[in-house]
Amino acid sequence: MEHYDVAIIGGGSAGLAALKQLSNLNKQAILIEAGKKAGSKNISGGILYSKKPKHGKTFNVEDVYPEFLQDTPVERRITQYMLHATSRDKVFTMNLTAAHEYQANFGYSVLLNKLNGWFAKQASESAERQGGGIVSGVHVRSLNWQNEKTVIETDEIEPFEAKAVIAADGVNSELAEMTGARAKFTPEQLYQGVKVIVKLPEEIIEQRFGIGPDEGAAHLFAGDVTLNHIGGGFLYTNLDTLSVGAVYHYDSLMERPSEPYTLVNALIKNPLVAEFIKDQVAVKEEIDKNLPKEEQLRTRFAVSKLIKTWNELRDSYHSRAARKKLIESGKYKSEEEIRARLDYVQNELATKYYTKFVTDYVELEYGAKLVPDGKRCAMKKPYYKNILFVGDAAGRGIFIGPRIEGLNVGIDDGVRAANAVARAIDRNNFSTQFMGESYSQSIEESPYTRDMKEIDKDYLKIFLDAAKDVPKDIIGQRYGMVFRLMSSGTLRGLAVGFANILGYDKLLPLVESEDTYVQVPIELAEKTGRQVQATYEPTIPTIAQRIAQLKYDDDRVSHIKVLNPKSEFMKKMVTLCPTLCYSMEGGDVTLQHEACIECGSCAKETEWRHPRGEKGVIYQYG
Amino acid sequence: MTSTTTKDLNVAVIVKLEPDFSEGNVSYNADGTLNRAETKSILGPHSAIASNAAFYAKVKYGARVAVGTMGPPIAESALQQAQLLCDADELHLYSDRLFAGADTLATAEVLKAGVSKVEGDGKVDIVFSGHRASDGETGQTGPQTAWKLGYTFLGHVIDYNVDLQSRFVRAKRLISLQGFYDILEEVEAPLPVFISIDPSYKAFFNTVSQRLAFEKYQKEARSRAENYKQFLKVLNTQQLGIDPKLVGLPGSPTIVYKVERIPKAKASRKSEVIDGANRDQLTRVAANMYEVLGGMVIK
Ligand SMILES: Cc1cc2nc3c(=O)[nH]c(=O)nc-3n(C[C@H](O)[C@H](O)[C@H](O)COP(=O)(O)OP(=O)(O)OC[C@H]3O[C@@H](n4cnc5c(N)ncnc54)[C@H](O)[C@@H]3O)c2cc1C
Ligand code: SF4
Repeated sequence: MEHYDVAIIGGGSAGLAALKQLSNLNKQAILIEAGKKAGSKNISGGILYSKKPKHGKTFNVEDVYPEFLQDTPVERRITQYMLHATSRDKVFTMNLTAAHEYQANFGYSVLLNKLNGWFAKQASESAERQGGGIVSGVHVRSLNWQNEKTVIETDEIEPFEAKAVIAADGVNSELAEMTGARAKFTPEQLYQGVKVIVKLPEEIIEQRFGIGPDEGAAHLFAGDVTLNHIGGGFLYTNLDTLSVGAVYHYDSLMERPSEPYTLVNALIKNPLVAEFIKDQVAVKEEIDKNLPKEEQLRTRFAVSKLIKTWNELRDSYHSRAARKKLIESGKYKSEEEIRARLDYVQNELATKYYTKFVTDYVELEYGAKLVPDGKRCAMKKPYYKNILFVGDAAGRGIFIGPRIEGLNVGIDDGVRAANAVARAIDRNNFSTQFMGESYSQSIEESPYTRDMKEIDKDYLKIFLDAAKDVPKDIIGQRYGMVFRLMSSGTLRGLAVGFANILGYDKLLPLVESEDTYVQVPIELAEKTGRQVQATYEPTIPTIAQRIAQLKYDDDRVSHIKVLNPKSEFMKKMVTLCPTLCYSMEGGDVTLQHEACIECGSCAKETEWRHPRGEKGVIYQYG
Repeated sequence: MTSTTTKDLNVAVIVKLEPDFSEGNVSYNADGTLNRAETKSILGPHSAIASNAAFYAKVKYGARVAVGTMGPPIAESALQQAQLLCDADELHLYSDRLFAGADTLATAEVLKAGVSKVEGDGKVDIVFSGHRASDGETGQTGPQTAWKLGYTFLGHVIDYNVDLQSRFVRAKRLISLQGFYDILEEVEAPLPVFISIDPSYKAFFNTVSQRLAFEKYQKEARSRAENYKQFLKVLNTQQLGIDPKLVGLPGSPTIVYKVERIPKAKASRKSEVIDGANRDQLTRVAANMYEVLGGMVIK
């Protein structure tokens, strides 16, 4: 049997950071990832933060990957952060850029296929120098212990041994389950996130959001777009796409199930969002059925090809770098020439093939995933024997205000786990007392752990300041009082101090309620919001069309087994599975796994595994 | 874990540049013969599989790999494509006007000479070749080259492993015997051997170290193939040290009179469109299936 010092299971941002850090410390480590390539299974919102904590130290992305700031495998640096309260065509907007910048060196919008792909390249190059590396397309099936060493069994390759294991296998951690290190997360501890990637040319994004080439915007939404669920919507600008999504308390969805895609659809239908995402879209004219068959075929090919050219050329024309490249390649002499060619193609399509150019929007990818709420589910002691749990696997996600932080937390965890393992290797001591405890202690010292436990009064002040201009009387008696009280520094300090003694978690049901996410924003929008009108009606793809657009490597065998087809939970899955994999058949819930996007929403009452190596969904954006 | 290319095992692959018969790339003349000028050329699919088999030796045993082809200068591209697949350490192009018109025997003479020019005195332990070429070859080049080299010939190999200590190769061959197809034969032979790889061969890497080596050599292959000319040697008759009488047309005893087009067989099947929503029609289909399968249907 082959033997390695360290095996990291899972190649998301957390696992990759652990691999990179161990290699930085000259330790040999291998990382096993089920997806065909690192990045193909991961999905986020998302904004990657680099934290500048008031107290203590965090290990940030640029600390682990020194090339990060030069290569910037990211989308846009977020410079604008707006919160919108919505009610039908009314929108009330607050500028929360200060909340976004709070204790942050930066926050970049990211797409995980690209970001994790870049992390993997960096990490594997370092790891190879230590005799390790990344093994992708391999799914870990079970762990056993033989003489202190862990024997790791997979679906694809021969078992191998490791002295230490880092579990970075995400929110639906099989390692946590098979070892019993923690119980499966319950709906109260989780959020369900659903998002779509919308295509929009680079400079159109900049014009529309009023941002420069090196800038980005984030827009958050609460109010009627939530369809009365606890949570909200987001829209982040990427380089030449937008991430539009919804993140909701899973228990809130459990209580009154809505199909997850309807929550994204509600967001898209909001006039402000509709205006943000709109673009010019080519719509093919029906081909005349009276034409000879060959002629029909020829026309169909010609139109498809021309539309493709039009799209590509238009994207290039609206991108500084792409325009430059086209001119440098000698294909075009000037920008005007590209424009002329674009006009020509468009004219050709319109006059020769009757193609219409309409205002609509274009979706590129649909995806979903559960997100752990660290306040409610972070593992107190994130280890089991010689396994250290990091990132989502340890339940360490942060939700404070509208900010979601999981990527940066996972990176910090990964580094801390790597440091603990490196010390264990030096001392040849992989015991829980030594390795597990030292990791646990380090996690305890992490500023992120504090964020999961306490309210930060300065952070709270930003929200109160942002809401200063809101006439207090309209937020109803209850809230007006709170606002007035909290606006005073002393009182706020006292109140927060008191709340923290009482326990953050005890306060949560009050803070995270339908009132705060739904009723107050609706009231705000109705009473003080400005009117926004959409100039078109977005053609929203059906869920079947969204699934058809996704890439899968189908597995004949299902990775999920329904345990009790009659349970109330499973019945709710018929509505709550984002890709409608469940249906009712004669009183029983049945599963068709083919369209599964591995979000984990059904994991609690199923025998839930990730698909075998390379199988299942393959995200192109993430 | 194998980290560097060892001299413990030397392998060579013989490849061929072939017309791309895939749709959209192939072009025919009016008389049905191949229009070579219009048709794109690629590394032949069987050659690609042979290259994969050589890559397996590199990943698993750290073998040194040489790739050779006989052909005009554009055949270089076949070498480059093969290098991308097997991370070759050495590329040979056997190119000479004298080679024109060679049949399989004359080709074998060139390839044999080529193998002997592989770095390290031509001590090649395993020569891989594709099962056959797709552009009108008869599958004889392999056995003939093996015979000329004096190597044991193993055909239709779908899996192989080498014992570096005892210097034996153990191979699985897919054979057909007396009307039975797909019989698996396991054979053992001392090195050196000539292996012709079956089209159904698929390399499988089943340990962590092999997977790591796979990644590493694949990366190396990408960067090498970008600069393939650095690895390339072009050799003519003289450099190969062959008697001109044995190559090209003079060395080819085969006479091709004419290649007949095989007429398309008339299909005897009848087809009928069934409406999936029509219960009667479906019942009829099920009944027919039941009849044909002779009650083999379980449920
Ligand atoms: C809609 C949405 C919005 C979000 N927004 C933000 C945001 O704005 N900012 C932010 O910081 N975070 C955000 N998050 C959270 C963030 O995306 C996650 O916290 C983060 O991606 C988790 O990383 P990870 O490495 O812990 O796990 P994952 O990325 O889930 O990686 C786990 C990996 O392990 C592999 N794996 C699992 N089991 C096995 C096995 N048995 N064998 C082999 N491999 C296995 C999987 O294939 C996967 O690649 C958001 C999440 C969602 C869903
Ligand atoms: S089957 Fe389960 S894991 Fe798959 S998409 Fe549906 S809810 Fe998510």
